[in-house]
Amino acid sequence: MKGLRSLYIQVGIGLVLFILFAVLINNLSINLIRTNLNFSFKWLYRPASFALAEHPLPYSPSDSYAWALFIGWLNSLKVIFISLIISTLIGFITGIARTGRNPLLKIIAASYITLIRQTPLLLQLMFWYFVGFLSIKGTLIFPNERILVLSNQGIKIFGDINLTAEYSSLVIGLTVFTGAYIAEVVRGGINSVPRGQWEAFRSVGLNENSGVLKIIIPQALPAILPGLTSQYLNLAKNSTLAIAVGYADIYAISDTIINQTGRAIEGFILLLLSFLFLNLIISLMMDFFNEIITKYQKV
Amino acid sequence: MAILLMKKINKLINNVKRTMFTSSLDTFISLFITSILFVCTVKLSKWFFLKANWTVVEENIPLFLFGVFPADQRWRPSLWLIILISLVVLTLFTPSWSFFRKLLPFAWIAVIPIGIALLAGGIGLSPVASRYWGGLTLTIFLMMSSLFLAFPFGIILAFGRQSKLQLIKYFCSIYIETLRAIPLISILFFGQLLIPLFLPVEIEINRVLRSIIAFTLFVSAYIAEDIRGGLQAIPKSQIEAAKSLGFNTFQITRFILLPQVLQIALPALTNQAVGLLQNTSLMSILGLVELLGISRSLLANPKFIGQYMEVYVWLAAIYWFICTIMALVAQNIERKTTLVKLI
Repeated sequence: MKGLRSLYIQVGIGLVLFILFAVLINNLSINLIRTNLNFSFKWLYRPASFALAEHPLPYSPSDSYAWALFIGWLNSLKVIFISLIISTLIGFITGIARTGRNPLLKIIAASYITLIRQTPLLLQLMFWYFVGFLSIKGTLIFPNERILVLSNQGIKIFGDINLTAEYSSLVIGLTVFTGAYIAEVVRGGINSVPRGQWEAFRSVGLNENSGVLKIIIPQALPAILPGLTSQYLNLAKNSTLAIAVGYADIYAISDTIINQTGRAIEGFILLLLSFLFLNLIISLMMDFFNEIITKYQKV
Repeated sequence: MAILLMKKINKLINNVKRTMFTSSLDTFISLFITSILFVCTVKLSKWFFLKANWTVVEENIPLFLFGVFPADQRWRPSLWLIILISLVVLTLFTPSWSFFRKLLPFAWIAVIPIGIALLAGGIGLSPVASRYWGGLTLTIFLMMSSLFLAFPFGIILAFGRQSKLQLIKYFCSIYIETLRAIPLISILFFGQLLIPLFLPVEIEINRVLRSIIAFTLFVSAYIAEDIRGGLQAIPKSQIEAAKSLGFNTFQITRFILLPQVLQIALPALTNQAVGLLQNTSLMSILGLVELLGISRSLLANPKFIGQYMEVYVWLAAIYWFICTIMALVAQNIERKTTLVKLI
């Protein structure tokens, strides 16, 4: 009797959802016919005819839309992976400083975290781009020209690695932002280690720094990893704000293409698929790390 | 008295010595940071008091607050902001009458229709089209109305995901996971460009409403996950106990689960609200003139060109202030009035 009732409910809800989707799809097809754009992906092979300032692989405006999208995807990867590494470093250093003994470091870490977490990322990105890079007059040289040169064209490292202002401000903005969030995750992880562990390593004569590195952090890692994964996924999603500083990432290129061709539905589907794929990569990577850590701990 | 003071100072010095100057490395770090902090403070205060030109902020305060709302009608958004501020004050310093406390949640809900009535006009007020809404008013309006819509939707999704009915369970799971996997800006883009495509030709909805729909779709998925976290924290034995007392599913949800879940999930929900407030700034890319959007158009004005630093510092201060207030209000609710009593 009860099974039958739940079956009826499910069929009913299924029908409602089905009708809802049918009406929406019907509206969509009416609208597409009205605007003379029928659903297809053939336009992907047509030449994109827009230039890109940054492309890790050879690209020219006569290349296809599909190739332009792929370049955008690579550009996104370039931002995400560099930011991921640097923000992890910043996050761990800040998180450890936040839980450490030095009150000065504690205050600085805490104010950095609150300042970053209470202001929008978009505002921060614009700050780094317009104030941090575009307002530089002339060039700023650190130690000498061979090592680090800053100008409103971007960053030049070791004389031959050129990073554009768009790319650098995006990476700096994302790392500073994500670093603050990772710091909170790290702090939570460190606080989850029992206080006795601290007293134990102090009483066996380890000094503060190596004690934290060798005793506390390894035990905090299992608690840190899930939070870290979600911060990495957030970083990947936030990298789409690149459009605000004019960096050609996957979203910015999809936006251009949709504006050019009017293929909103198809462009949107491709954007979704590329993001699901990106998330899959990051999740798999973190699962792999998780496995390594649990194995290491068992031994 | 003097001896006490001396003792205190001595203790402080000892404390500083113990925490900041234990090893040579610590000493080095402490001195290094102090010197850097000193230089930064001097430079920043020099810029703040001498170099910065604050006229760009002073002259445009109404623009930051209300956007391009018609000048003779500006009392309407300001009235709404004043109502909001007084509600915040009342929530933070609630008088101890229980009657008053019971009214507060309703007042918070009523603020949204009042806001719509004041901004859009209609009944007795001259109508103002949504494209004239802007500034801080629009930022707060977007945040509050999306939150208000996303909250029940998120609760339904969370319970749907736990449901024994397979179809509902899978539908809710797929919805939540997809929305959490894609960036917010693409959903907002969907809202602006694609929602009109899914509607019949004759129905047209304005940009503000479309962005509220998009924000609601997005935030409800995250709220659902927070609520699910709260649901998992409640021991199974409570449900069994309620069942043995003869509660039906609706009664269990309404009287046992929901009050506790909301109490547990409140900190996470506050984070969502703060995140939502910050994320409304994304609409400046998609053509709404909320707080960040109006500043972008302001900076494009040749009169204020290049004054990025002043405007951005001002905006950061506003966002920081509002986020802090929201956190304070949430803490207050958590501490003083247990939600269990409110619903």
